[in-house]
Amino acid sequence: MSSPAEIAERALAAIAAARDEDELERIRVEFLGAKSELIGMSRSFASLRKEERAAAGQAFNAAKTAISDALTDCAGALARARLSDLAATEAIDVTFPGRPPASGRLHVLTRVQREIETVMEAMGYHVEIGPEVETDWYNFEALNLARGHASRDMQDTFFFNESEDLLLRTHTSPMQIRSMERLKEPPIYVIIPGRCYRRDATDPSHLAQFMQVEALAIDEEITVGDLKGTILYFAQSLWGADRRIRIRPTFFPYTEPSFEFDLSCGVCGGRGCRSCGGDGWLEVGGCGMVHPNVLRNGGIDPERFTGFAWGFGIERIAMLRHDVDDMRLFYENDLRFLEQLG
Amino acid sequence: MKVSYEWLCDLAGVHDITPQQAADVLTMAGWNVEETVLLDLSQLLVGRVISQQPHPSSRKPLWVHQVDLGDHTRQIIAGVDNARPGTLVPVALPEMTVPDGTLVRDGKIAGVEARGMLCSEAELLISDDHHRILVLDQGTPGQHLDEVVPSDAVFEVEVTPNRPDCLGHLGLARELAAALGRSLGRDFMPPFTGGVEPPGTDLINVEIEAPELCRRYIGAPITGVKVGPSPLWLRRRLFAAGVRPISNVVDITNYVALEYGQPLHAFDLAKIGGRRIVVRRARAGEMLLCLDGEIRSLTPDMLVIADAERPVALAGIIGGADSAVTGQTMDLLLEAANFEGVNIRSTSRTLRLRTESSSRFEKAISPETALAGARRAAGLLAELAEGNVHVGWADAYPRPQEPIRVRFRPEQVDAVLGAHVPLQEMEAILKRLEFQVRVQDDGEWDLLSPVFRQDVSIPEDVAEEVGRIYGYEKVPPTLPGSRRTSWHPATPSQERRLDPLRYALTGPGFTEVVTPALTSGALLDRLGVGDRAMQVINPVADDQDALRTTLLPSLLRVAAHNRSYGRQIVSVFEIARVYLRRPEQPDSQPDEPLRLGVVRAGLNGPEEGRAGFLDMKGALDRALDALAPVEVSYERATATLFHPGRCARVLVCGRPVGFLGELHPSVVDAFDLEGRAVGLELELEPVLAVDLPRRGLPLARLPAVNRDLGVVVAEAVEAAALLRTIQGAGGELLESATAFDEYRGSQVPEGCKSVAFTMTFRSPERTLTDAEVDGRLEAIKGALAQEHQATFRT
Repeated sequence: MSSPAEIAERALAAIAAARDEDELERIRVEFLGAKSELIGMSRSFASLRKEERAAAGQAFNAAKTAISDALTDCAGALARARLSDLAATEAIDVTFPGRPPASGRLHVLTRVQREIETVMEAMGYHVEIGPEVETDWYNFEALNLARGHASRDMQDTFFFNESEDLLLRTHTSPMQIRSMERLKEPPIYVIIPGRCYRRDATDPSHLAQFMQVEALAIDEEITVGDLKGTILYFAQSLWGADRRIRIRPTFFPYTEPSFEFDLSCGVCGGRGCRSCGGDGWLEVGGCGMVHPNVLRNGGIDPERFTGFAWGFGIERIAMLRHDVDDMRLFYENDLRFLEQLG
Repeated sequence: MKVSYEWLCDLAGVHDITPQQAADVLTMAGWNVEETVLLDLSQLLVGRVISQQPHPSSRKPLWVHQVDLGDHTRQIIAGVDNARPGTLVPVALPEMTVPDGTLVRDGKIAGVEARGMLCSEAELLISDDHHRILVLDQGTPGQHLDEVVPSDAVFEVEVTPNRPDCLGHLGLARELAAALGRSLGRDFMPPFTGGVEPPGTDLINVEIEAPELCRRYIGAPITGVKVGPSPLWLRRRLFAAGVRPISNVVDITNYVALEYGQPLHAFDLAKIGGRRIVVRRARAGEMLLCLDGEIRSLTPDMLVIADAERPVALAGIIGGADSAVTGQTMDLLLEAANFEGVNIRSTSRTLRLRTESSSRFEKAISPETALAGARRAAGLLAELAEGNVHVGWADAYPRPQEPIRVRFRPEQVDAVLGAHVPLQEMEAILKRLEFQVRVQDDGEWDLLSPVFRQDVSIPEDVAEEVGRIYGYEKVPPTLPGSRRTSWHPATPSQERRLDPLRYALTGPGFTEVVTPALTSGALLDRLGVGDRAMQVINPVADDQDALRTTLLPSLLRVAAHNRSYGRQIVSVFEIARVYLRRPEQPDSQPDEPLRLGVVRAGLNGPEEGRAGFLDMKGALDRALDALAPVEVSYERATATLFHPGRCARVLVCGRPVGFLGELHPSVVDAFDLEGRAVGLELELEPVLAVDLPRRGLPLARLPAVNRDLGVVVAEAVEAAALLRTIQGAGGELLESATAFDEYRGSQVPEGCKSVAFTMTFRSPERTLTDAEVDGRLEAIKGALAQEHQATFRT
């Protein structure tokens, strides 16, 4: 039977020779484990006489402390050695392609619509939505477009009955009247997105089914200047602070005065280039001051309140934003297209 | 409308602006110039032909000319021989591009030097005649051609339907001048030039039988005309405006129509039976051989111009062939009339015949323009066709147009514009547009419209007139809103509330699509979902004649499209409305419920179909939870479009909202899709209506005990039923239980399956002992055995 000091000597030699952490663990079990000689020795202390017990205890403790200190030191050294070697032992090819998650995309029109809404909501507008199958009253009559009026030719319409009083809305403007009816009292600041339908031949810049968004503001003392300012704020928020807008007079029955509005070309800054067709401006949409008859038809007193409305095709905005040159791509839903823009 | 810059500027008395400047000014005044084609003749020269010889060696007939250009002579070859010695001709020099785009080359033709080009009218874009060299009637050799034949530019101008007075060059010239701060300096009403007896009323009798459709009819006899070609200036202007010259008489009526916007018609007076014009509704069964060679059947809703016996023209749309002017015509009846626009439009639509004339009458031209146009045409017929203009024209005008007055305060204009327009400037603008302004004692302005304008009737209209000439670029941009005392609280939009659901669906790989709502009614019928479809009565195409009643066919079409490009598995979703006719009120607006549709297509065989089903269920659970912590459950169901054995009804908080399942193989086939497809379609509004708060519950701190159990039951017993039993027997200690595997095979009896559940037991107060958990498990097994005759796998 060895003395504690002899055991410690053997243990320290074994520890010094240990090559890795597994071996060190075996050494720990051998010398300090429950079944080891040293620990076994401690169980027999009880049978020793008192004076012998103190000496044996001291020897035991010295041996045990020496071994465990050596184990700790060695474990630290081995761990440091292992970690210092990671670059060599565990290197991977970091240029290997990442593994994409299965995730899909949002449709580009949803994204663009949300961007538009975000800008307008920040100005205190809220979204109103309404039916796509409309009555003649809301789509035409109430908007100052009487039957037989030549302006109706501008909006060739899908009908559901021979009396032509049930139809697919040709614009989001019926919601002007419905919003006035629902909210009743100005101030009214709403934005109206939605699907619209016109009996047009389909080509890269025309669709029979498309999406519009329009903004309507009705309040005291609303002016053409406010209309210009609001569109400018919108254009700069969406496209950048260096953009300009202009309004050009035109005619719509539901606004007076009426305008088209253009955005300065982002490629040439308004000097004229190929992408804007040379005049420096890109057509975006239509706008104007809400016609007094329209306010009256929505139950608003035109003597007290005035308003403006402006709108455009969401596809048009998406085309300008993403350099898309064919509107039909938005509805074809080719995943290769959606994944580029989603 | 095609507009000649040269004609426009001549009428406006404006000679100091370029075509581009004119186009910009018009555009910003409300006359959008969509396109400009330049006809620049300034680089060409006038030459005099000295000699003309046939080409010595060419097989094609060519002629070699020596042409005097003032300071030198050049040799030029042409393919036609009408440039005889002594004639004046337009000469283009080498390296020039002439207006039709031809580049003039310097070189040899068939071995003979050719140092320029003699131009035809077609090459100069002043007519389509390319059979001869243009022979000039004035000019000197070496002079710039545009001193003899003016340069021009053709604008494509968009004339808005409220401004029929600008359907001619004169109206636009007034606008151009006004926008440049000048007056037109030309009276709208030309002087009356009739001086020949007998009075026109002796030669023709005019009667309006349908005054509701004809406001005015002027019949002016012009006798002794000499029909022949028009002079170059007139032909050139007509051609620039898009009208082919025919003969002086026809050209003059067209010219005046293009100048005043007033359509005119010339009859051969000799062919008007009974020397009588009756403006009446057509009689049933009447026919008319029209100028375009078509015979048209007329109905009583159509207005005709008739002589004593029969129709001679379809009023305002097209003339009759039998009464047309020919080379032999001596005496004319010049018609200048005003017809009711809505009726013209409806006849024109019925006959599918839209003409220069009908498109103008549709827009409610002022009846005063008829007289102006007739006088202008009579003057030109005298000047260019030697016609005799008679005194005393027939002019049926039962209800003369009332003058239109507007009273407004100038501040109202400022209030609309948001800018102050100085009073003098406002008045000057209105006067340039030929309004008469009277300032009243009370400060109101009384505005009288010129006779050709009927569109200015309220103060807002006046603001528009002032604004567009004043210039909207001078209106400073502002943002609306002052201190508000009332408001409508903001609510998030329905669309935005659905965004978490959208994102939750993109996670497991579904891409959002947006598909058309108009689809094929026949397809919906074939699929058995056409019952409540709204049918469009005037579709543009057969496959777009009905509004969809379900989203799934649209998604399957997208899947098929993408499969054709090589995608194996296509996973897509759409949030959109469907349109459901209300059976009890078919003529009212339909229901337009908002739906979610999801499809995953391209799955291979029944096993992948089952896996796809479970994946979709998991995706839906997660997506609905993204909206609100709703309780979603499923029960076996059958539904149109779905596989009869693989379809579940989806219930949200106990309320059925739609179906999820594998799509019926025959439906998948109908879209030429291979393999299996799973899908779901459900109503979103009831889900959005669920108002469940998300609560932060206390988290369990004590350890849980997990147990798995294999439950062997008959095939027909469903997992949901087993789960209900487990939950019932598990008591409070059973925190959760879920089925995670299904097994059939040698380990279980024929006709049975083993469903594996994993269960978590936990108490909020203490750590559970094995004995407690075993006790609960025994209770669960007992209940399963009793209720479902279950046995258990260990």
